[in-house]
Amino acid sequence: MSAMRVDAKVVMLGKESVGKTSLVERYVHHRFLVGPYQNTIGAAFVAKPIQVGEKVITLGIWDTAGSERYEAMSRIYYRGARAAIVCYDLTDSSSFQRARFWVKELQNCEEHCKIYLCGTKNDLVEADRSVRQIDYHDAQDFAEEIGAQHFETSSKTGINVDELFQKIAEDYNSTAFQYMTAEETGVDLGLKKDSYFYSCCHNN
Amino acid sequence: MDGGPQKPAVGWENGMLAPVDRLRTERADSPVPGLVEGTEPGAGQQSAMFVHAQSFEDLTAEAEEDVEREAELDESGEPSEDLKVLVGEETIEKQHNDDIPPERGTKEEDVSSEAWRSHRKHVFVLSEAGKPIYTRYGTEEALSSTMGVMMALVSFVEAEKNIIRSIHADGCKVVFLAKSPLVLVGVSRTCQSDKELLRELQYIYYQIVSLLTLTQLNHIFQHKQNYDLRRLLAGSEYLTDNLLHRLDRDPGLLLSAVTCLPLASSARDVVSASLQAAKAKNLVFSILLAGDRLVTLVRKKDQFLHHIDLHLVFNLVGSSSSSREGEGWTPICLPKFNTAGFFHAHISYLEPASELCLILVSTDREDFFNMSDCKQRFLERLSKRSAYQAMKEALKCPSYSVEQVGIPELRHFLYKSKSSGLYTSPEFPAIYQSDEEQERMMGLYQDLHSHLHHPTRPLRSFYRCSETENLLAWVTSGFELYLCFSPLGTKALAHSAVNKLLKWIRKEEDRLFILSPLTY
Repeated sequence: MSAMRVDAKVVMLGKESVGKTSLVERYVHHRFLVGPYQNTIGAAFVAKPIQVGEKVITLGIWDTAGSERYEAMSRIYYRGARAAIVCYDLTDSSSFQRARFWVKELQNCEEHCKIYLCGTKNDLVEADRSVRQIDYHDAQDFAEEIGAQHFETSSKTGINVDELFQKIAEDYNSTAFQYMTAEETGVDLGLKKDSYFYSCCHNN
Repeated sequence: MDGGPQKPAVGWENGMLAPVDRLRTERADSPVPGLVEGTEPGAGQQSAMFVHAQSFEDLTAEAEEDVEREAELDESGEPSEDLKVLVGEETIEKQHNDDIPPERGTKEEDVSSEAWRSHRKHVFVLSEAGKPIYTRYGTEEALSSTMGVMMALVSFVEAEKNIIRSIHADGCKVVFLAKSPLVLVGVSRTCQSDKELLRELQYIYYQIVSLLTLTQLNHIFQHKQNYDLRRLLAGSEYLTDNLLHRLDRDPGLLLSAVTCLPLASSARDVVSASLQAAKAKNLVFSILLAGDRLVTLVRKKDQFLHHIDLHLVFNLVGSSSSSREGEGWTPICLPKFNTAGFFHAHISYLEPASELCLILVSTDREDFFNMSDCKQRFLERLSKRSAYQAMKEALKCPSYSVEQVGIPELRHFLYKSKSSGLYTSPEFPAIYQSDEEQERMMGLYQDLHSHLHHPTRPLRSFYRCSETENLLAWVTSGFELYLCFSPLGTKALAHSAVNKLLKWIRKEEDRLFILSPLTY
């Protein structure tokens, strides 16, 4: 448990109740919790190792709260992130507007952060096509425009969830060679100072 | 026997006493009700853990500053016309308080329905512009005109340089609390006093401040008077709902105190010492909880946590049951500490399936990994020691039964040590197991409590017989005690039980209280 090493910081962004926590729950714990909606308070962090070819990469996933109340705090979560999963609810067009906001925010502040656009609750639209409010092709076009990957997932059925995180890990692995410099070798949670997290926070 | 007194003797000679400078007698084995504050069973030996440990009065005092300007409108006053809009006319039908109310209102409830009107206690929060912010039952939108009326009442009285405090009508109390930039209104059919209701509204106010800080709240409304605060509070309604539920059910909020997980003091001391060792520069409080019970609390020297702030933390943690595997990191304002800024709380469970929740409160928002590291160090240290196992064992019986005390007619009690701000209470016996019975019991305690803390005529002791139980309440400078006996008991028996109970608590205090709180 001690001194967990995190290779890539991944941040979940998106409007509240789009299902960011469910996505993380599904991916990390392979489960889908039914029950009354509970929003995330502040943010939750979880580290998850993932196999990419011969290597094991540890993703440090920041599940942020969607509420506007925490917007001012969001910078500390996406700062230095290598990947951002920007979620929107396939059945809620306003959540797509919010996703656009986050994309803009990331483009302005974190140019090295790769964006993964993720439409959630795919099981709902599979069950009843009329509830879909975001067209697949519109989202796909938007993703291409901003140079992002695009997924439609369901945390309930688990469809595309592992694929999404696998893709993130693979992308990280293939780009790691380009960006990686001596001091950017990831975060050692056992260390207090001079970690990647700190160096990037302090010159802000 | 003489378990308690030996250890502290050293501390006493070093002058490490709790703030009271009054003469201290030895920690008697057979404490008598006349004990001085600081020597009652459960009193901390070195220093208090909380600020203003006996601060029921603190909490309500603020609201009482303007007593002279008080304008209490009674039934004959004209605003009761408006009130009918709020509470409905109920002179004809008999309203029974023990009608079972729907537990938690669904938000879609129709606000013009009788069911909505007959809830035992409504709570509304609005902005000074009269915009709805929160309602316990129904939706805010549907209540905008009702809240408009509330604001009109407040402003109407304010225009005369007066303050509206409460309206009593039709067995219903409407209590107002103006806390610029918010206005809180409680409408209650319970027999709670105005003061008790006001105290509950204060809690709700602090709950909102803890999410936003007062500075931010003021800033928002200075810029835009008619701002819709629900935007910022979105998703936090259940925190307020839960807090209201706790106010009805949790004796800790009534007593302004916290209860502890019963644990052998040797084990607790090891846990505390391990927490103390896992310190960091910006770490202010380390709190270890087992459900709603405190295992230990270590604080920075000279920094005290107020029990209200601690209850808000309990509420926050208790309300978010979702993921126990990850580590949470959230800004939180502790309004009794400082209403201006956020602390940052690292919240995690020691083990996924465990009830043990560690909360590390830091001043720095970039401190997540430092706090995570503190937790690891604490766990490493603790897991090597047998105390960890002892603590996990203790979790299996987080409470005790009243039979252990050995007083035959005694059914239940609440005992609060004033100087430590901690209380102890056995589990409810079988006859009070149902939700309704527990709420009724809490209602009885609330009633006793309000007699002991009456603003103008506080009682020192109070005995009451009823068909279902006999109750005794007793307050001294050192403790507050509430006892519930079977209806067959007598007053003499009740009084003799006090001494016996105090003796028992003294004997068990090592286990039931935190006697030696630590600081970094």
